[in-house]
Amino acid sequence: MKITLNKAYAIRDHWSLSASGTFNEGVHLVSGDVGSGKSTLAMMIAGLFPLSGGEINKSEIKSSVLSPQFPELLITGITIAEECASWGITYEEILEDTGLKNRNEESPHSLSRGELQRLHLACVLAKDSDLLMFDEPFSSLDCQEKAALCSRIGKKLHGITVIFTHERTILPRVDRIWEIVDGVLIDCGRPPDAFSNWHHIPPAIKRLTDLGSRPDNISLDDLREAACRIHG
Amino acid sequence: MQDPRIRTAIAAVLSLAAFLSLQGAAAVFLWWLVFTPSVQLAKKIRRVFSLILMITFFSLVLEIYGGGGLSYFTRMTVIVLIGMWVYSEQKSGEFLGIGVWLLGNRAGFELGMIAEMGMQSLSSVAADFERIQMAQKIKGIKWGVHSLVPAGLVLVHGALIRAEDTAELLAVRGYHSGGTMCPKFSTRPMDIVAGIIAIIILLFTLIPFSEFFILYR
Repeated sequence: MKITLNKAYAIRDHWSLSASGTFNEGVHLVSGDVGSGKSTLAMMIAGLFPLSGGEINKSEIKSSVLSPQFPELLITGITIAEECASWGITYEEILEDTGLKNRNEESPHSLSRGELQRLHLACVLAKDSDLLMFDEPFSSLDCQEKAALCSRIGKKLHGITVIFTHERTILPRVDRIWEIVDGVLIDCGRPPDAFSNWHHIPPAIKRLTDLGSRPDNISLDDLREAACRIHG
Repeated sequence: MQDPRIRTAIAAVLSLAAFLSLQGAAAVFLWWLVFTPSVQLAKKIRRVFSLILMITFFSLVLEIYGGGGLSYFTRMTVIVLIGMWVYSEQKSGEFLGIGVWLLGNRAGFELGMIAEMGMQSLSSVAADFERIQMAQKIKGIKWGVHSLVPAGLVLVHGALIRAEDTAELLAVRGYHSGGTMCPKFSTRPMDIVAGIIAIIILLFTLIPFSEFFILYR
């Protein structure tokens, strides 16, 4: 199971994005500044943004889901129960975990941004697709919810998960780090070796590395472990 | 066509003419070919595909159960073509101008504003429709006839929410009633010619051809 980007590029007005590389099974992080093209790349891989050139090949991927930056764009149900049903799941499966128990008859539009994001992410994760792409999944979530999402992503045992985000604090363990710099997708490599090539390296990881205690990965647990190492 | 007053009046007159008889619809279609950028409009026919699909469905039902389906289909399709022309030529603020010109700064302003909101809502519904199609694609739902009813419900629900939001926004900004506006219109000679011909078409539709021959004799 893999996605191969072969000189895929998109041009829009005075802006362009080009991407080459292979996304194998595992969790991938694509970082970059706001407006660097993360969402466009996600849409390109999902087949929702036309390529100006090159190609994107998906091998052995039978199902895929893109979780967009704005979950309200995906609402197609009038009630929360209908919204869950539109994802092919029953609301009983997820509402308790999302803190929305007994609210199945309410409109998804009546939810706060954070609640809607929680509901949406729960639906996306319940689908258990071969390819899961999250565009800024941590927006509108508090620290506790971000950590819970990282834990859920970490529990996924198969398929390809790609997280497009500029979040730099609470992140899941990943298998590969990518970043978009000046309109080009760069493969930084596997952590922790990727840290030396990573322009968008989170300040905490950089600090720990500078202090000689490089974390093994980018999750909070890895950062804590590295911090403990400093003090012996 | 530059003058929105004439354009709106023509749309009303021609819609009525097309609805009243098949001959009227044929004459309106000819008018549409002559006075509108029909080739450009025909290229955008895909945008009203769902509407034509709905008309086709009702026409078939009519044809099967009582007859007259073909006539209904022709007349309604011509009305859709006129609607497409009006919608493509419409510029923001024109209805507000017409309302104030027609009924003044209070009732006219409010009526115009409602019409403007209706037009805005049409654009939003079109954008929503595209969004729903994309959402269903992402969710792995195949788009088809079975998707139309749920999509329609979401569209109506979305339109109601937007209307509520707009009402709240107007209240928050202190809107009470009426407003002030000095509308300006420019009229080209061709607008008047098109308008006169539209009225003639309506008259021919209202008065049967045989009556003309009687008068002629």
